[in-house]
Amino acid sequence: MTPCTVTTGFFTLGKCGVMAVAGCPACGRPLCASHITESGLCPECAAARNQVGHPAAAAAYRRRAHRHRTAAQYQDAGWYAGFDSYDRAAFDPGAGAQQDYLDDGNDALVDS
Amino acid sequence: MADGHRAAYLAFDRFPSSKGSAVHIRHMAAELFDRYDGGLLCVLGGGGLPAYQREGNVEIVRFDAVVPNLLDRAEAFSAWAAEQLAPHRDSLELCHVRDPWGALPALDTGARLVYEANGLPSIELPYAWPLAAPTTLGKIRELERHCLTEAAAVVVPSYVIRRAVIDRGAAPDSVHLVPNGADPAPAGVPRPEAAPGRYLIYVGALQPWQGVDVLLRAFARLADLTDLSLVVCSSVSANRARPLRRLAERLEIADRVRWHHMLPHAQVAAWLTHAELSVAPLTATPRNLEQGCSPIKVWESMAAGTAVVASDLPVIREVLGDLGRLVPPDRPAELARAIRVMLEYPDACRDLGRRARRHIEDGFTWHHARNRLAAVYETVAGH
Ligand SMILES: [Zn+2]
Ligand SMILES: [Zn+2]
Repeated sequence: MTPCTVTTGFFTLGKCGVMAVAGCPACGRPLCASHITESGLCPECAAARNQVGHPAAAAAYRRRAHRHRTAAQYQDAGWYAGFDSYDRAAFDPGAGAQQDYLDDGNDALVDS
Repeated sequence: MADGHRAAYLAFDRFPSSKGSAVHIRHMAAELFDRYDGGLLCVLGGGGLPAYQREGNVEIVRFDAVVPNLLDRAEAFSAWAAEQLAPHRDSLELCHVRDPWGALPALDTGARLVYEANGLPSIELPYAWPLAAPTTLGKIRELERHCLTEAAAVVVPSYVIRRAVIDRGAAPDSVHLVPNGADPAPAGVPRPEAAPGRYLIYVGALQPWQGVDVLLRAFARLADLTDLSLVVCSSVSANRARPLRRLAERLEIADRVRWHHMLPHAQVAAWLTHAELSVAPLTATPRNLEQGCSPIKVWESMAAGTAVVASDLPVIREVLGDLGRLVPPDRPAELARAIRVMLEYPDACRDLGRRARRHIEDGFTWHHARNRLAAVYETVAGH
């Protein structure tokens, strides 16, 4: 039996493991019946192509123009435009105090 | 869900991960999604986490673009999150965020905003990024002010940070206290096989303000207790422990300190349960004093029934009250003395641990925290 290798879980992640019935045509991973999306792709590949067999996502696909407009408006709102190159330079990878504390690529901004 | 999600939770944090913040996100997001029949979770990915997951009515999307500069990354995350939220604009009723980077796109949707302030970038960032100029931090502070002012509710884990968010423009009656929680370790959890005879334990991350160096120096003063070990359950990788390991070598205690990195949560609970004492040596930095935090390590030690020795800071007093031993921060000799005294009275220690555990069971499990959060959602939805 070939197990389905789609990652599942919320806090503790694991592989689905249910018997695979097909492979994803895009990435080749084995898929069980419940992890094949309407397009035949695995959920990740389908999401990357905006085809997540999901009504909301389908609507998202139709509203693509609207979405781009939103992103543009958001940029225009200007919060990030307020940061100039001087502000940004302090947050370059080499500018951290203790690289030993930062090298996970995990900035631990708020961790107790 | 047919018409899009009604709720979204956004965090500029990797999820899941071995950090305390991930435990927090897990419970808060679960409450949100329970109340709104699912929803959209926008978090950071990388490290092999899938970019997209669907778990029942919950969709999880992860930002995994590699953007080296932190501010650029935050900006890219905001733009990405705006795109994720856009298809749900018409149906979104509530967005729950943890930082300004998620709050900006969430506010843009018009949904009500619940801003969970566990920390403030304007206070937190300079610790990791010392070159950040005061003018830059001023801009970030303005950004925080904007988000906190616009939020329908601000959720804080402690009174200390409550003051900090009000100071930044949050309306006092919009600020709600939801202390962190912890779930009591299951009874009879077995002793870890690798556990040394008697050991002190530290659980958490290793940033300088955590004070692990103070603990190592204190431990060096207990060299005469030859059967005593120190176990460090680090929530971050071994790489980040290098400076502290070098310190342990210099202090000639390296052979008595055991390091574990990024252990699953359930294993950490076992280590906590069988420790003599749990130590939370937070330092008296402005980060801990002004912004505060709600140290999950203290909550979890209490839930494990293990007595806690911790720095005497307002945030710790708030959690521990008289159910642990408080010592002046940043003072290895005082910390060592307190540990020694407690080890001499194991019965009193066990009693303290039992009382702490009961205190958690009676009012501060994650179930309690979720109920408090639910009440906040109720208030926000009713407006
Ligand atoms: Zn695929
Ligand atoms: Zn499957």
